[in-house]
Amino acid sequence: MLQQKSVRQLATQGVWPVAAAPGAAPATAGVSTGRVILDCASLVRRFGGLTAVDRVSVKLREGEILAVIGPNGSGKTTLINLITGFYQPQAGCIVYDGRDITRLRPHAIARLGVARTFQNLALFSGMSVLDNILLGRHIHMRSNLFSTALYWWWGVHEEERHRRQVEEIIDLLQLEPVRHEPVELLPIGVRRRVELARALAARPRLLVLDEPMAGMNQEEKEYMARFILDARDELGASVLLVEHHMDVVMDISDRVVVLNYGVQIAEGPPQAIMKDPAVIAAYLGERRFDGSRH
Amino acid sequence: MFYRECGVRHTTYAADRALAVIPFERVMLGVLIAAAAAAPWLVPDLFLVSYLTPWLIWTAAILGLNLLMGWAGQIHLGYGAVMAVGAYSAVHLARAGAPFVLAVIGGGLAAAVVGSLFGLPAMRVRGLYLAMSTLALQGIVDWLLVQVPAISGGAQATLLVPRPDFLGLPLATDAARYWTALAFAVLVALFVANVRRTDVGRALIALREKDYAAAVIGINVFYYKALAFFVSSFIGGMSGAVLAFMYYRAVTPEQYGLHVSIMAVAMVIVGGLGSIIGSFLGAGFILLAPIWIEHGLRQLAAALSINISPSTLAHMPLVIYGALITGFLLLEPLGLAKLYDNVRNYLRVWPFGYTKK
Repeated sequence: MLQQKSVRQLATQGVWPVAAAPGAAPATAGVSTGRVILDCASLVRRFGGLTAVDRVSVKLREGEILAVIGPNGSGKTTLINLITGFYQPQAGCIVYDGRDITRLRPHAIARLGVARTFQNLALFSGMSVLDNILLGRHIHMRSNLFSTALYWWWGVHEEERHRRQVEEIIDLLQLEPVRHEPVELLPIGVRRRVELARALAARPRLLVLDEPMAGMNQEEKEYMARFILDARDELGASVLLVEHHMDVVMDISDRVVVLNYGVQIAEGPPQAIMKDPAVIAAYLGERRFDGSRH
Repeated sequence: MFYRECGVRHTTYAADRALAVIPFERVMLGVLIAAAAAAPWLVPDLFLVSYLTPWLIWTAAILGLNLLMGWAGQIHLGYGAVMAVGAYSAVHLARAGAPFVLAVIGGGLAAAVVGSLFGLPAMRVRGLYLAMSTLALQGIVDWLLVQVPAISGGAQATLLVPRPDFLGLPLATDAARYWTALAFAVLVALFVANVRRTDVGRALIALREKDYAAAVIGINVFYYKALAFFVSSFIGGMSGAVLAFMYYRAVTPEQYGLHVSIMAVAMVIVGGLGSIIGSFLGAGFILLAPIWIEHGLRQLAAALSINISPSTLAHMPLVIYGALITGFLLLEPLGLAKLYDNVRNYLRVWPFGYTKK
């Protein structure tokens, strides 16, 4: 593999600001003490008779990696869709960075510095990897029809400025060889990386990842785990991670929230969660008096 | 083999985004533009007036429609009506004394306002439903043109276009009209090419591909849909006006009827959705192929001394033309632009075809 350029090196070159101050550096073990960046208070979302998310409260601190786990259909993706504005909760509120975002539309939430990736990938086919990642810079670009029409005198400078930033992200996620490839021709592991790059190009303060490792092999998973840690440590993003691969969750998350049938059944550091009887019951089923599993 | 990229090494990001990256393409573009500018001396007058001028103006119009259909992914079946609004507004402005350029821009703005209004349903619906609501625009405009004498002078009326001038220079000769059309088409093509390589164009493609993913990276989907309708209608309106001034020299309602809207959609699809060169090829093919087929048939009949009845001669070109469109789309659903692209990709690595994935 190509040599990985240290992101800290980029940060010291002034390309990327180091968001987390040394004091606020996230503790890999134990609970971060940074200030709360995302506060979801007793969210409720029903679809007809089904309560997909039932009074879930999640707090995410700055510089923290919070994993949300749970069996299929436990409401993890619904929770993410509530946070990013795709659904409106029927009750409860979401505060991001001291601001109520409960009723904001998705693009307005994105503008506040929330980026996400999708479980089944949402790259724009028909465009190159580079154009996809450049779109991540959209919220920072000041361009309009006039700057476009007068590209040679006006628009080109804005394009170039953001291209520079995008190239740093391409460097960080080691996407140089596929820069000009159309995204639809790439294998799934690389596509997930491109989607992460697009999210990171927006320089989010909150990064929401919906199963970033689905369908990946062990090596790709390890790369992805490293990139998520980089996003947190070097780019200063707080991460909300929905993931099924327990090994990854145990390794990189600071705290874990467990959902089951839309209800929050446990919360705490990964080691404690693994031993929690409620969690074990939800994942493996509990032994009933007749000996059958349920 | 001419298209070779050997030795093309970008040292700036701007060079990487140049419109023509391969040296041969730059030369070809230069030669093409020079030939186009010298066309009045190179081709017969009839050719210039009845083929090249309308082709260029239609190309500009199709570039506008392609922006909407090919990039923003919104279907539009009322483009003829948009062009009509532009043409009638511009002609009335010119008759009121506005200079040609201002009249055309004014026509474009009027078309943009009307076109954006009819783009409003696109905020809610898509696909076939949007096709229906844009068809309504065509119906309403057709009806207004026939029923309101203040606009058109009545169903049978023909509104003569005042003689245009550019900054005091009268555009009276065929060559001047042709050059105006050429300048207009080049300007529109450059604008659309710039849209494609900047943020606005990427945002349009994003909302065509996946509107929820566009929203999640901060693209205001409603705003960009409205923008697409506005810009495309603006270009369409100006094209309609230029067509009236430089080609028809008069406006009547049926110049911009439903059949024109259908023809415009056919030009976009045959040329290639979302392609600039496809807009040139599609407009040229749909506009000129029937003429040339008829011409060819006539000559063939004369050469073989067969007597073809006039009605057969009138219908044969349509049959061949329909078969050609079907054939092209079967061969390459992405249109003429993709055919060109295939040849180009082949030549780029010739004779080392195995280097291609």
